[in-house]
Amino acid sequence: MHTGFVHFAEYELQIIALAWLVVLYFIKIFQLRRLPMTQDIAPTKGSPVAGVLRSYTNIFIPWSMESAQKHRWRWAEFGAYHVGALISILNTFTTPFAPGMMTQQVRWVFAILIAPAFLLGFVKLARRISRPEMRLISTPDDYFALASVELFFFAGIMALLVDTSLWRTIYFLITAGFLFYVPFSKISHYVYFFFAAAITGRRYGVRGVRPQAGKAE
Amino acid sequence: MTLEAANKELEKKYTKLVGTAASNMCAHCGWCMEACHVYLASHDPAMTPVAKAERIRRVYKKNHDWMSQLFPAWTGAKKLTEEELDKWVTLAYRDCTLCERCVVNCPMGVETPQLIAAARAALVAAGKAPEILTQLADMAISREENAELYKDFFLEQVKEIEKQLQEKLRDPEATIPIDKEGADILYVPLSGLHTILPEAILFNAAHESWTMSMFEASNYGVFLSDSAKSKRIAERIINEAKRLKVKEVVLTECGHAYTTLRWEAPKLFGEPLPFQVRSILEVLDEYVREKRINLDPSKNSEPVTYHDSCNLGRKGGLLEEPRRVINAVAQDFREMIPNRLQSFCCGGGGGLVAVAEWSDARILAGKPKADQIRKTGAKIVVTSCDNCRHQINELNEHYNLGITVTSLSELNVQALVIP
Repeated sequence: MHTGFVHFAEYELQIIALAWLVVLYFIKIFQLRRLPMTQDIAPTKGSPVAGVLRSYTNIFIPWSMESAQKHRWRWAEFGAYHVGALISILNTFTTPFAPGMMTQQVRWVFAILIAPAFLLGFVKLARRISRPEMRLISTPDDYFALASVELFFFAGIMALLVDTSLWRTIYFLITAGFLFYVPFSKISHYVYFFFAAAITGRRYGVRGVRPQAGKAE
Repeated sequence: MTLEAANKELEKKYTKLVGTAASNMCAHCGWCMEACHVYLASHDPAMTPVAKAERIRRVYKKNHDWMSQLFPAWTGAKKLTEEELDKWVTLAYRDCTLCERCVVNCPMGVETPQLIAAARAALVAAGKAPEILTQLADMAISREENAELYKDFFLEQVKEIEKQLQEKLRDPEATIPIDKEGADILYVPLSGLHTILPEAILFNAAHESWTMSMFEASNYGVFLSDSAKSKRIAERIINEAKRLKVKEVVLTECGHAYTTLRWEAPKLFGEPLPFQVRSILEVLDEYVREKRINLDPSKNSEPVTYHDSCNLGRKGGLLEEPRRVINAVAQDFREMIPNRLQSFCCGGGGGLVAVAEWSDARILAGKPKADQIRKTGAKIVVTSCDNCRHQINELNEHYNLGITVTSLSELNVQALVIP
């Protein structure tokens, strides 16, 4: 593999793709911020700040949602999948920009954390195909997003474990493609989360709905 | 023409909240599925919250999402058609009761009911909303416009109820004041004795400074998602409270009436109301805590359970108040599982209870609630919402639950020690 091309894939291309992602996210946030919003202005019953904090941390409290309480496996799956995604994203920065940090041990730890997410992607895909409820709501974007994340995980694992210029190049080309696609896909759901959780959390907080201090939910 | 009006209204409803719910925020993970009582009762894949939301989201995406504008087939986006709009009538008014149980069980907090409410507003604009809901909203407005016509008849009825009140309290001085300027409380009932007499007994027993509204608390404009009508209906009570210079408005046991006046009305009018708004539940809770009424729980010895109205609990924040009161007035209080924030809708919410032609779907959707009630072994079901009460009474009949459905005020009256 030509070293100039490897360097381009690792650095210049990543910066272009990241800049693209950031610019599009900024446009999305700008568009959302321009929309009208009516917030509760009645005298409060609870704390809006506590409500927002509770909303942001809700997913870490499995007993707070019946969906997580009844299906602990799915909650664990959700956690493992997103840990894998976070590590994969981190890896796209550490490998090119902090190579000193990427010792053999760190590479193994990263790969071990991404591997379950990669395997769980197949479980997600199987569920989406096999359950009529999931098939009904699934669009080509759902399947493509899942497949592209799988590819991203797989290439990440290979680049971590088989540290050759070929795998690194493949990995960073896939990463760049992934970054170009994300703003158009449901993979961008996390950006909206910070918006929606703040709005909903504030409302629940103001109304004294959530958190219910010391009470079972 | 109707399609144009519907599309225009959808755009009017495109706020930050609806904009996020209509975006790629929903990852189609399916966590919300089992949160919906309609899906649990029907097992129909089209009845999951995400499937219902998706039908509206895809229309919004066609207008606002980049990918959907370029390649609609890729995201399932589509333009709203007359045919789809017709299908939205059952989707928005029958298949979703706006209970918000899906919201608290979604890891992202997607506000599916906001999308459904936007669809309801579009249907109103297109003239396709259920006629009965429109009629009920219009009747409430007409009652204010013709208040003088109703007044004499209303006062006559109140006099009759007052006689029963005096008899019950063995007190010829007990009254139901109307139009009493400077009273602390303006109590707003529903139409019907069951939301007037028990509260009148309790207010008199507590020596409360109160007066009763000429209007009923319910606001069908809210169920329609018709902001103009909601505002107009709420305005009747606000004007009356201002005219009588009361310190607070106390709403009867009605879920949507409480949420509307307590939380939504200030937003509709763009400013906080010049008086406090409370539910009768909060007043009773205060009476119990301050021992303003003498209660004997042994008078309610049969097992009692409480149904959380979605509007009062999940949307209104009144989760502990009714429980404190029941524990003070009944000997054997049993919780339904799940309860509070995770309580199931009775199946009749969102105005559905008023639409007679959908009663089969409503009774089916109430199955999870009926099962919950049966499991408690309770003989008395207390609920603080008249629509829930109506629905649970029908569930009782259909599923042979062998229960009596009552309100918190009635349960209090039952336990009241009259000297």
